[in-house]
Amino acid sequence: MPNLTIDGRSVEVPAGTTLLEAAQRLGIYIPRYCYHPKLSVSGSCRMCLVEVEKAPKLVTACSTEAAEGMRVLTASEKVRQARRDVLEYLLINHPLDCPICDQAGECGLQDYYMDYSLRKSRFEAEDKILRQKRRAAGPYLMLDNERCILCTRCVRFCGEVTKTAELEVMERGDRSFIDLKEGRALDNGYSLNIADLCPVGAFTSRDFRFKARAWFLKRTPTICLGCATGCEIEAHHYEGTIYRLVPHPNAETNTWLCDHGRMTYKAVRAGDRLGKALIRKGLIDLEPALRETATRLEEAKGAAAVLGSPWLSVEDNAALARLAKDSVKTANYCFDFSAEQGIKDGILVNKDPAPNTAGTRTVKALYGGLSLEEFTGLLAGGKIKILITEAKAYGLVKAAAEAAGIRLIIFARNRGEAPAAAYAVLPYASYFETEGTFVNYQGLRRMTAAAVEPPQGIKPLWAVVNKLASYSGAELHLDSAPRALKDMDF
Amino acid sequence: MISVKKVNNRPLNLLERIYVWEIARGLLVTMRHFFVNLVNPKGLPTIQYPEQPIPLPGNARLRTRHRLKMRADGAPKCVACFLCQTACPALCIHIEAAEHPENLVEKYPAVFNIDLARCVMCGMCVEACPEDAIAMDTGEIPGGAVVREELLMTKENLLRNLPGEPSLVGAANRLANEYLRGKE
Repeated sequence: MPNLTIDGRSVEVPAGTTLLEAAQRLGIYIPRYCYHPKLSVSGSCRMCLVEVEKAPKLVTACSTEAAEGMRVLTASEKVRQARRDVLEYLLINHPLDCPICDQAGECGLQDYYMDYSLRKSRFEAEDKILRQKRRAAGPYLMLDNERCILCTRCVRFCGEVTKTAELEVMERGDRSFIDLKEGRALDNGYSLNIADLCPVGAFTSRDFRFKARAWFLKRTPTICLGCATGCEIEAHHYEGTIYRLVPHPNAETNTWLCDHGRMTYKAVRAGDRLGKALIRKGLIDLEPALRETATRLEEAKGAAAVLGSPWLSVEDNAALARLAKDSVKTANYCFDFSAEQGIKDGILVNKDPAPNTAGTRTVKALYGGLSLEEFTGLLAGGKIKILITEAKAYGLVKAAAEAAGIRLIIFARNRGEAPAAAYAVLPYASYFETEGTFVNYQGLRRMTAAAVEPPQGIKPLWAVVNKLASYSGAELHLDSAPRALKDMDF
Repeated sequence: MISVKKVNNRPLNLLERIYVWEIARGLLVTMRHFFVNLVNPKGLPTIQYPEQPIPLPGNARLRTRHRLKMRADGAPKCVACFLCQTACPALCIHIEAAEHPENLVEKYPAVFNIDLARCVMCGMCVEACPEDAIAMDTGEIPGGAVVREELLMTKENLLRNLPGEPSLVGAANRLANEYLRGKE
C-alpha cells in the first residue's frame, strides 16, 4: 500500500493505482482525453501531465503507478504551462467547426480550453491541415477526421469491450488518422457508446445529428426498458421531447448502453402514438371507449380473462390484478411469466427481451392466478369471450386467442404494436412519461422517472384501469401509483 | 426636506370669467395650425407610421429590423448553431437545423423564425453570432402591423431586400467558399 503526497495531501492507495486515480480519491481532478476508467491505459493525449518530485520530466498521471513516498504536484506552474502547450498542440489543426459541431457544449476541447488555456492561437486559420470531413461510419455514427485528436478511446472500445475491432489508427506520425478497417462498418450493436466516449466531435450520433444543442438538454435519470438487464440511463429532453438516451454508469449493471436500448425513446413521439382510444379501428375519446369496454365486460359476465405483462411496471400489473379480482370478479387471470435470463452477448443485452419478468413474480405472489399454460389452455378451450391484456403480452397467447375468436381489449401505446383484430385499444402513458417500478434480472428494483409530459388526455395504465373499474361499477380507489402496490410485499 | 411650492392663484378677471374670448383664443391656435398645414403640408411634423418611413440617423450602433446575410450562392450564411437563440432574452428566435445534402458546411437552418412581436431589439443575437450571419441594419423599425402574423419573420423574409453585398467572411465560410470555388 504505497503512501504518497499529492498537492501536499497524503493518501494511501492500493498497489497498482495510477496517479490519476489516486488524485481522484482526493477529489483532485486531472484533465484527460485518452484515459477512461473502463478502458486500457493509452497515454497518448498527454493532457494529464503532472510533476513528480525528482523525476526528470513531467509524467502522465494516467499511466504512472503510485509509489511509496512520491510527491506529486498537479497544479504547479510547470504543469499548467504543459497543459496549455498540449492544448495548443491539439488545436493546431482542429477546425473552427464549433457552430456546426454537435459536440459543442459538451466538448473536451472547449471545456479544457476554458479551464486551462484561454490562449490565443498562434497559427493562421488558413494554415490548418485539412482532413476528410463527415462521413457515415455505420448506421448510427458520423466520423469527422478533421476534429479527431487521436485519443484512441474508440479504437480501444471496439477492441476491448465489443471485441469487434472495426477501427484502427492508419498511417504514422502527423499523418495518422482513425479509420474503419477495409470493408467494415460500425454496426456492432454498441456503436453509439463511441459517440459518448469521443471527447471531441469526431464521432457523433447520426440519430441525434442537428436535433438539439447539448446545452438546452435537461437530464432525467431513469432506466432502460429494452430488455431484462434494466440499465440505468439518463433521458436528455427539451421542451417535452426526448432527444437521446445515454448511459448512467453504475457498478451494478452498466457502464455502456446498447444501440437498441438507445432507440427505445423513439416510440414516445412516433407518428403512430395513440392519443385516443380505438374501438374497432375507429378513433374515439378515452372516456366513451372505457364505457364501451365496461359494457362489453358486463355482457361477457364470467367469461372475461385478464393477462398481465412483463412489459408493464409492477404497479400497472398490480392494477390489472385488482381489476380482475375486485372489479371483473374472475379467477381467470395470469401473472405467471418466466423467461431464460442472463447476459446474452457478454456485455449488456439480456436473453429476456421483457424488462419486468422478475417484477411480475411479486404480483403473482400476492394475487396468485393461473399459470401461463393453464391460461393458454383456458383461452383455447373456448369458454372465454373477452381478454384484457397489454399488446406485447398478447403475443404470448396470440395463437390460442385467435383460434378461439376472443374479443380483445388491448392496452397499447402505439398503433403499430396493437393487433389488428383488437376490439378496443386503450392508450396509456409510456414509462418516459410516468413512474413505474421494474425488477431487473439481478432482482434490482428500479424506478422509471417522468421525463416528459404524456400527450394530452393520456394517463398511466393504472389510472386507466381505475377508470375502467369505476365504469364497471366497482371502485378500486387507485388514485396514485403507490396505491396500486398496497398490500404487496414490496 | 421636501420643498413646498406655494401657488397664489390669481383670481380670473372679467374677460376670462365670461370664457368666450378664451375659447376663441384657443380656437385661433387650432385654426392657425389647420390653415398653415393646409397651405404647406410638408411642414407637418406628424409621420404616417408605418406606411411612411422615419428618417434615421444611420449610425453604426443603430439597431433596426434583423436580416440574414447571404453567401455568394444565395444560401443563408447562418449555420444554425443556435447561439442567437441561446442568447435571446425574449425567446423570439426559433431555429430548426437540417443537414445540407452536398455542401461542405453540412448544417443550415431549415426554419429560422424571428417573432418581432416578442423581440426587444437588444441586439444580443448579432453579438452572439459566430458567423456574422445576422445583422440589424435594414433601417426598418418593426411594430406596425394589422395582424400578428405580419410580425413573424421567416427565413425567406429575413433573406429578402438585403442592403450590401453577399458576404464571404466568417469561420465556417472557409468550407462554403471552397465548395463554391469547386463548382466554378
